[in-house]
Amino acid sequence: MIRLEKVYKTWDVPVLQGVDLHLEEGVIWGLIGPAASGKSVLLKTVCGLEKPSRGRVVVDGSDITHFGESEMMSTRRKFGMLFQNNALFDFMTVGENVAFPLLRAGGIDEAEIEERVASRLKAVGLAGSENKMANELSGGMRKRVGIARATIATPPIVVYDEPTAGLDPVTTSKIYDLLRGIQDESHATVMAVSSDIVALRPFVERIAMIYKGRLIYEGAESDLDDCEDPVVYQFIRGELEGPL
Amino acid sequence: MARYLRAVSNPIAAVGESVIEMATHLGAVVTLLARVIRSLFPPRFDIPEFWRNLYKMGNQSVPIVMLTAFFVGGIMVVQSAVFVKRFQATSLLGWGAGYSVLREVGPILIGLMFSGRVGSNNAAELGTMVVTEQIDGLRALSIDPMRYLIVPRVLAMVIMLFLLTILGDLVALGGAMLFGRLIIGIEFGVFYAGLVNSIGVHDLVHGLIKSLVFGLIIAITSCHFGLNTKGGAVGVGRAVNAAVVGAALGIVMSDYFLTYLLT
Amino acid sequence: MSDKPTQPGLEAPLKFPATIPHKVGGAVFGMVDALGEFFRVLRGTIRYSIWGKRPKGEVLNQMYQVGNKSLLFVCVTLGCLGMVLVYQICLQVNKITGDMSQVGSEFIKGMVHAFVPSLTAMMIATRVGAGIAAEIGSMMVTEQVDALRMSGVEPIEYLIAPRFIATLVMTVFLTIIALAVAVGAGTLMAWASFDVNPVVFFSFEKVTAGDMITGLAKAICFGAAIPVVSGYCGLTTRGGSEGVGSATTRAVINSSLAVIVLDFILSALAYFFLQSRGL
Repeated sequence: MIRLEKVYKTWDVPVLQGVDLHLEEGVIWGLIGPAASGKSVLLKTVCGLEKPSRGRVVVDGSDITHFGESEMMSTRRKFGMLFQNNALFDFMTVGENVAFPLLRAGGIDEAEIEERVASRLKAVGLAGSENKMANELSGGMRKRVGIARATIATPPIVVYDEPTAGLDPVTTSKIYDLLRGIQDESHATVMAVSSDIVALRPFVERIAMIYKGRLIYEGAESDLDDCEDPVVYQFIRGELEGPL
Repeated sequence: MARYLRAVSNPIAAVGESVIEMATHLGAVVTLLARVIRSLFPPRFDIPEFWRNLYKMGNQSVPIVMLTAFFVGGIMVVQSAVFVKRFQATSLLGWGAGYSVLREVGPILIGLMFSGRVGSNNAAELGTMVVTEQIDGLRALSIDPMRYLIVPRVLAMVIMLFLLTILGDLVALGGAMLFGRLIIGIEFGVFYAGLVNSIGVHDLVHGLIKSLVFGLIIAITSCHFGLNTKGGAVGVGRAVNAAVVGAALGIVMSDYFLTYLLT
Repeated sequence: MSDKPTQPGLEAPLKFPATIPHKVGGAVFGMVDALGEFFRVLRGTIRYSIWGKRPKGEVLNQMYQVGNKSLLFVCVTLGCLGMVLVYQICLQVNKITGDMSQVGSEFIKGMVHAFVPSLTAMMIATRVGAGIAAEIGSMMVTEQVDALRMSGVEPIEYLIAPRFIATLVMTVFLTIIALAVAVGAGTLMAWASFDVNPVVFFSFEKVTAGDMITGLAKAICFGAAIPVVSGYCGLTTRGGSEGVGSATTRAVINSSLAVIVLDFILSALAYFFLQSRGL
């Protein structure tokens, strides 16, 4: 589905240093790593928001590395993305926010859009809040709106950037419960980034860990505990002693 | 859209609202000014911070002010060119350029550019410090933000704009001289003679007094809007915008009164 | 924002010595990059303004925003400047000839082709340009622009094109209004302080078609430059609230500078092609 080949990304300093990754279709992926290790940049490279400095990114069989902005637009339709801070459009109502990806896709009449927005909002537990403004909602509710917007166009690939950052443990569980419910319907390829590994691990099937711009672990979630790498060992156990 | 509808349906309320808002800001600005002046007697403020700001502000604004002034000199020449040609009044170019640059155009445009570069940067910095709770952090360490942050910045801005106006005036006149030669073929000597024969020190002083007042206005407005930033990154953008607008308004309006008072 | 590249914890494998040639080279490359990006924004803005699809009523909404933000501001500042200019001119004329009959018509001529378009544009750059950068910059750091792109929307088409059209149109209108205000205020000033008869002062006889074309061309160019420069500054925002602050700062300074440089170029063109031929 998605293949990264030797991806480098440099701004003022190198951020990604030769990442190779292959995501198979329909698998739920988790990406973990300490702060400033390149997680978000990797995510944005995968969905074409950032261009790699070197290397190749292949999505669904087509090499998007050198795509122009207009070719990229059609590729991005394959993605749904939940942003770290939700990135809800603050000049729109909740309903308009959720409907936005459908409006731009075109070819869907208004009645159907309205119906799909209503059912999507119901699915995330916000039935009937179409006309509220995004900034009237609490953090957990905004996250739900973000999830509804990311998944309404039933994209084959869904990307969650820190789906539970800043939420309390109960809300966190509820959000993951919701994500799992959505996944059971859509069977999309999922990539989730989180620094909260305890909450993330039960949700994902495979895990990759990035450290200083390099992948240092990549494999089944259940094998993570057996990993010998000292950085991974320390990170997943949260120990004080170690290379980190 | 809600504001749009209200402004159309009730224009008086909309105007009243903005008048009240302006009055509130004006009151707060005057209060801030009073507090700054009080901190100067006796002068207790952070001296290293003052030098640091002076250096930084000079660094930020010298290139942009010189560039602006150079083009302003050119604009003055181009716009009086037709006049000069029509009356063959070549000696008047030095007078016209000198008079308008020193008294009005120099201080105002340099002030506006200074406000855009230094004033807005100052508002952005203070605004960022407010939204990241650094100002509260200073208070928690029992450091008076007034003495540590505000007063050094205000002083540095007033002095810097004063110096920059002198520099800018020179560059603008130099630009006028150069473009006068290039565009309407007036020799440097003729320009220079026209300048020194009709322009006196009082014209320069007129402009420099204005620049002192403009510097104070820019400094106080940018500090006021920076310190009153609310609501994260969005708020910082708004604060910067409000600061430059307030400063421009203050510069132009005070210019009107100063022109009266100084003649 | 946890992956900001400026944060410590990343080690560069290739550490170049920060020598002066390297710095200069970096600055040149940075400028070339920035210029390329600026022209991409410019090209996109023009293309999408002509062919793009915009949300319904967005241009009208933006026009209202521009007008609402700047009408009072422009009127007050241009009114004051009109009065000051008349005051300074009359002062000098009084000293030299004392003949006030020509002041009005020359003042109005100068206002039409030179002062009003550029000063109005400076004010709009301050008010509207900074506003555009602050708005788009905030949307950048809250990832709303990325969210637009992920929904298959080109930010230039959706955000900048409507602001471009609105600012362009409103700059022309505001310049005309500002001209009326500045001339009116100047007339009053000449009457009140120097006893110049308003009927004599308020004379458009020296305003030629060339002056009007120059003034209009300037208003259009400034109105086009301000939203593109500011939109570019907004779209290149990086980092958090500091980034928004610096984007807004850059927008004010760059659009003001653009106005001044364009004013110089357009005035020179007007001089060579219109005024020197007596138009």
